[in-house]
Parts: sequence; C-alpha cells; structure tokens
Amino acid sequence: MKLIKLFFTILITLVLSFIIIKPITAQENDVTIHFFWARGCPHCAKEEVFLQKLTEKYHSLTIKDYEVTSSQENALLLKRIGKELNADVSGVPFTVIGKNYVAGYYDDATTGKEIEEKVSCAIREGCIDLISNLKQKPDIEAEEPTSIIPSSLNVPIFGSITTQNLSLPAFTFVIALLDGFNPCAMWVLLFLISLLLGMHNRLKMFILGFSFIFASALVYFLFLSAWLNIFLFLGFIAWIRIAIGFVALGVGGLNIKEYLANKSGGCKVTGDKKRRKIFERLKGITQNKQFIVALFGIILLAFAVNLVELVCSAGLPAVYTKVLTMSKLPTWQYYLYLIFYILIFMLDDLIIFITAMVTLQAVGIQSKYSRFSHLVGGILMFIIGILLLFKPELLMFG
Amino acid sequence: MKVLKIGAVWCNGCLVMRPRWQEIEKENPWLETQYFDFDKDKEIVERYKIESGVLPVFIFLDKNGNEFLRLNGEVEKATLIKTILENKEK
Repeated sequence: MKLIKLFFTILITLVLSFIIIKPITAQENDVTIHFFWARGCPHCAKEEVFLQKLTEKYHSLTIKDYEVTSSQENALLLKRIGKELNADVSGVPFTVIGKNYVAGYYDDATTGKEIEEKVSCAIREGCIDLISNLKQKPDIEAEEPTSIIPSSLNVPIFGSITTQNLSLPAFTFVIALLDGFNPCAMWVLLFLISLLLGMHNRLKMFILGFSFIFASALVYFLFLSAWLNIFLFLGFIAWIRIAIGFVALGVGGLNIKEYLANKSGGCKVTGDKKRRKIFERLKGITQNKQFIVALFGIILLAFAVNLVELVCSAGLPAVYTKVLTMSKLPTWQYYLYLIFYILIFMLDDLIIFITAMVTLQAVGIQSKYSRFSHLVGGILMFIIGILLLFKPELLMFG
Repeated sequence: MKVLKIGAVWCNGCLVMRPRWQEIEKENPWLETQYFDFDKDKEIVERYKIESGVLPVFIFLDKNGNEFLRLNGEVEKATLIKTILENKEK
C-alpha cells in the first residue's frame, strides 16, 4: 500500500512538474543581439565582455557582431537600422535586440542592465528580428553608387586594377603633394641652399643638404604617426569625426583664402628676428671646420625648425590620418602609407635641392603651382569635410 | 631709368625672378639695375620702406633718382619688358 502511495506521489509530482515547467520552456524564445562595434573603441570592448557573460546566462541568446570601421557593408547596415528605428547611429557601440536598441555603453550596472532587461523581455515574449529581415531586403540606396564606379578598371600595361585598392594610394598622393607645397619650412631650406652654394666641397654640400631634408622628413613622419595613433586609440567616436570634419572645412577655407589673397606670389616679410637667428645658426653650422659637428648641428636645427613650423601645417596631416584610420589596415600598412606620404611631401624640397646642387644656382618653384595647389587643396578639403560630417562611409577605402 | 631689385635668399619668389631679370638685362644691355639683399642692405630697406609687405620688390627710378613705379612679387617677363620700354626715356 505504501509502495502504491509512493508511486502515485512520484507520478503526480512528475505530471505537475510537466504542467508547471513546460509552459515556461515553451515561452523561452531564441533571441539574437546585433552588436555594432569599432576597433579601438574602449566602450565597445567593455560591452563585448558583458555580452559574453550574458550568453552564458541565457542559453537561447546569440550574439552577432558587426565591425563598422573595416566593413562598408556593416556601416551601411547600421545606417539602414538607424533609419528604420529612427535612431542616431553616429556612434558605437550600438546594440539592437529585436525592435529595441541601446546606444552606447557605460557599465554593467546601467547600460548593461538595460540590455539584460530587453533581452529577458525578448526571451519571454519573443520579438521580430529586425536586422535579419532588413538584411534580406535589398538596399536600393546603397546599390546605386556601385553602378557609377566600376569595381575594376582595365589600364594598358598594368592590366586590371581594383578601384578600391587604387583609391587610398591616389588619395595619399594628392594630399601629400598638396601638403608639400605648403611653404612653411621651405624658406629654411632655401637659406641652407644659399649657404651650401658658398662651400667648395660638393660631397659635403650633398651630405649636409640631404641630412637636413632627411631630418625634416623624420620629424614630419613622427608627427603623422602621432596623429595616426591618436585616431587609432580613439577609434570610431562620432564627435572626433565631426571635429575633424570641421577642421577639414577650416583648412579648405584657409587654402581658398591663400589662393585668392596671394596673387602676386611674393614672400611676406614677417618674423624678422626669428629668421635672422636661424640664419646666423645655419651660417655657424655650415662654416664649422669639423664636419661631424656641422652634420649633427644641421640635424638638430632641422628638428627644431620643423617642430616649430608644424603648427602651420597641422590641418592636412590630421585630416589625412583620420581618413586613413577609417580603412581597416594591418598596422605595418598604415606606416607604409605614412612613408609614401612623406616621400611625396618632400618631393618639391628634393627637386629644389638637387637642381641647386647640380646647377650650383638656387632655384625657386613658380608660385602659380603653389597657388593651384591651394585651390585644389581647398576644394578637396571642403569635400572631405562634408563627407566626414555627412557621408563618412564614402571615405572608408578598401 | 634705373631699377632697384630687393630680394632675399630665403624667398622663393625672388629665386623665380632672378633668371627672368638675367634674361631681360641680357636683352637690354642699356638698362641699369642694382640688386639689394633684404637682410643685409638695411639702409635701402629703410629708405624705401620695405620692412613690411611682399618680396621681391622692384623699384623704378627716373633720371633724377625719384621713384615712379613699384612692383611686387612674381612679375611676368612680358609685363616687365613692357614697363621698361614704356618708361625708357624717363
């Protein structure tokens, strides 16, 4: 009798547990979190750790992540979601759970809690996976540009060239060439040439001149690297992009102003004391009988002069490195682009120096070229500024 | 007529103008010109008030040494020749 009682007790318990538990498991819906993030973004990294913990807690939860700085496709998807949800998607992290979203991430207790609440609600009640539905629908707007720009070009001799691979080197070339025409540090080189021409040893002339140019290039490389690392560290932060967009517009305005103002192509007579000081130092260095002292002197002076003159050309390198970081590249490629930039940047200095050393006469570059570069540079900076502000995805090369 | 040319070794525009003037002087041997360095010849710089402005500066003087024209910056060779020929008798 006791055995029958025990049997029924177990049976009732089992039946009851099925009645009670089954409906709960039936309501547990599969939920997908769509996590938009960017490389180098500290808040994204924080959220990633939190989401990982969340998947361990909720087994019906799946995370799909989208890196937006390296993939134009992901950036466009984020933009479409923004439109669909009527949300501001100018920054990451951006998290979508069904039709709900969470912009940004502060910490587990605040934003994390908000995400978890949305997740548990979606698990209980189920939700439409908005992004999966969006991905199935073709984006008419996004498809339009591809019909205008072909993905590859057939060039004689070189054969087929992928346009996306071409755009970043071409962009680097144009910006570096424009930056090179910036006459900030040119006057020091002309000073040096005038002094070197008075020397009788051509080998020493070449060594001193090249050392000056090489040291100047090194300073500029370090300067560009600093900008690059700042932007890589800050990552995909919307206000940085907007600020650089305004810098680009400002640089554009200054270039156009320079184009319109200096029609005569002359040299403004300013900074008399500074010029005299540098001239005296250069004179002392080049006339030093000990060549090694002269060599070190010229390198140090190149560092000092270029560091001071950097202020004058801060805009272009900042805009260029910002655009560069928007293309996902291996680190060594970033630096390769910087070296390429420097080579193009120093081109006019090298031409002036080599011509002067060969002909033994100082030569200048006609101002019409620098005026033209100001005009082209100004227009280009305006376009980049507008793109950075309104269509940054168009500047994500590759 | 005499032309005073004021330039500087650090000025790109002055270097551009140098070969242009060399050609003009060769083609017009009667023309009297004189070069002054902005950093060295301070007396001329002060006398003609070139402390501020744009280099190079070309000052055209008449027979009595009075200035009648001043040009700045990079000037086209044709413009210079036209100016010189028009004022040859001054």
